[in-house]
Amino acid sequence: MHLLPLLLYAAAAAAYIAHFAWRDPRVGRLATGLVAGGVLAHTFLIGMQTVQAGHAPLVGTSAAISAFVWLLGLAYLYIELTSDERSMGVFVSVLLVGLDIIPALDPAITPRPPVLQSPLFTVHVMSLLFAYASFALACVLGVTYALLFKEIKAKQLGFFYTRLPPLATLDLMNSRAITVGWTFLTIGVVVGVVWAWQVKGSPSPDPRVQAMSLADPKILVALVSWGIYSFALFARKTAGWSGRRAAYLSGIAFAVVLLNFVLVGYFLTASHNF
Amino acid sequence: MRLFAVGLSHRTAPVELRETVDFARKGLGHALAELSGRGAGRELVVLATCNRAEIYAVGDTDETAEHVGRFFSEYHEIPHDRVREHLYIYRGPDAARHLFRVAAGLDSLVVGEPQILGQVKAAYGVASDGQFTAALTNRLFHSAFTVGKRVRSETGLGEGAVSVSYAAIALAKKIFGDLKGRAVLILGAGEMAKLTGIHLQSQHVKQITIASRTLATAQGLAARLDGVAAPWERIDQALSSADIVVTATGASEPVLTRTRVDEVMRHRRNRPLFVIDIAVPRDVDPAVGQVDQVFLYNIDDLRTIVQENLARRGAELARAEAIVDEEVAKYSAWMQSREIVPTVVALRQRFEAIRRAELERLEPKLAGLPPEARARVDEVTRLIVEKLLLTPTEQLKAVSDEAMIVAYADALNRLFSLAQDKDRGQAATEEESEVSS
Repeated sequence: MHLLPLLLYAAAAAAYIAHFAWRDPRVGRLATGLVAGGVLAHTFLIGMQTVQAGHAPLVGTSAAISAFVWLLGLAYLYIELTSDERSMGVFVSVLLVGLDIIPALDPAITPRPPVLQSPLFTVHVMSLLFAYASFALACVLGVTYALLFKEIKAKQLGFFYTRLPPLATLDLMNSRAITVGWTFLTIGVVVGVVWAWQVKGSPSPDPRVQAMSLADPKILVALVSWGIYSFALFARKTAGWSGRRAAYLSGIAFAVVLLNFVLVGYFLTASHNF
Repeated sequence: MRLFAVGLSHRTAPVELRETVDFARKGLGHALAELSGRGAGRELVVLATCNRAEIYAVGDTDETAEHVGRFFSEYHEIPHDRVREHLYIYRGPDAARHLFRVAAGLDSLVVGEPQILGQVKAAYGVASDGQFTAALTNRLFHSAFTVGKRVRSETGLGEGAVSVSYAAIALAKKIFGDLKGRAVLILGAGEMAKLTGIHLQSQHVKQITIASRTLATAQGLAARLDGVAAPWERIDQALSSADIVVTATGASEPVLTRTRVDEVMRHRRNRPLFVIDIAVPRDVDPAVGQVDQVFLYNIDDLRTIVQENLARRGAELARAEAIVDEEVAKYSAWMQSREIVPTVVALRQRFEAIRRAELERLEPKLAGLPPEARARVDEVTRLIVEKLLLTPTEQLKAVSDEAMIVAYADALNRLFSLAQDKDRGQAATEEESEVSS
């Protein structure tokens, strides 16, 4: 059962690639159906895990990645169905497959330590995961913007020119995704700080709670990414950092997010290794 | 009555033969009159282009096709053996399909070329003016025009390649999306500037500003394009607010230099700028293309795109063929439904004959009435007949199934003993168009 979402995402990715290459609308609809099926199967999986563990499966990096993939799939489906624009699917579905391999290989649910039994913890994790999903979409939009920009600038109108939506559309969607992501990132970080401040004062604090400070790599890199996205928003409004620069920035910033989420989450942090 | 298409084209005949078989040499009207004089077909259209010679004819038997085929050699005074093996003959729906494919440019040497539709229209015009066409060919050719238009608007077959202006607009749309809210600046007020301006205007851009070295010519073009004229000294301001800039001046030195555009981009806060340089020699320094968020295309770049589009047309063939299929089906259905028309005409004639007979019979009694009253009687009886026939006529015309048509015709013939009127059916063809319209 825990492999089913991954298999459906992989099938969807294959269909999106085929659709992107040959532009057959039937294959496109198939791809949308497959990714919807994947998200549905994923919903069941997370639901089952919640019943099994008695709490939402958000503890531990692989569970968090699974929830992130699920949110990204949902967010993408929403955008595809509202904008009727399928060309992003090829990039998003590949990202879904790449990330869902981790929870598929490591499906065990970590039991929730007593210290995390707070509604603030769920809000903290869910807002951050939603923020990351938005940033992932912004990154995909940025990458496609850069690809199309290059073709038009170099006067080599070819593959992407006939397949991608106009630059202005990509730029607008990128700016929206970053605004939404930044809002949830801010909420997530603030809630996290409030929660940590609460539990630090409680008796018999967890050693991991004691490690929660700016010196912890996970927290530090999270703040760095908050800084980058804040700059992206600010620079777009005041210095005209739209278009190509915004596209590159959303790519770089998401690389930082991914680094923090996967690498730092697994190997480096002392405070977030639940 | 059957429809035939007989002809030869670049697909079947060598160029020497196509040069010899030229119905346009003495005018299409001459060929039509000659062919009609031989009684070859009841309706005729002759189509002649440098790549094809075709005759569309309506006749009663397959001999019509024979006649028309022989006309190809007889009219040009060459042995028929030279022509016969290169001729193709299509009948009924196949003939319609052939014409539709021709009109859509699917049968052309350069697939999708738009001129052929105009040539088909002209050929039909000549035949129609000379009254060689009637119901069948009228409908056939109007359907062919529909196919041509649909293929052009619904597929990419006729797309992009036709003009440099179109390529520029497609690019602008790929950069800005919808052009509705965009501002355009045109530098220069010559013919090229005007043409591009008209194309941009058709995209409903927000505003068109025209700047030229002489304000008066700019104002002239501005009036034509519903835009505003700006004095030459103030183009930097206009550049700051424009999204699309078209340069078409006759200047020998670049009008837009790198430093100038760098300066402008600072004021624009880096909003994308699409510069289309259609002037020769160029109005824009090529280095401008290196500025971030500036997209610079000159006339040669656009021509290259046009060439590439030409190559890509092939991909749209299947969609165009589907449109042809659809219209052939419609035309065939109409052809079938039409066969009820002689019966309808006979029925109407029968009713009218009865009315006249009754009026004649009553003539002694009516003779005493004043002329206005007599006219009124005539009018009222005519209206009654019209009213009685209205629903049956509509119902009959709606029947499209061939077996049903035969059944209805049979029933009507018996009920109103129309059979003896049938031979008058031919004389009634003039009335057909009135009934079927």
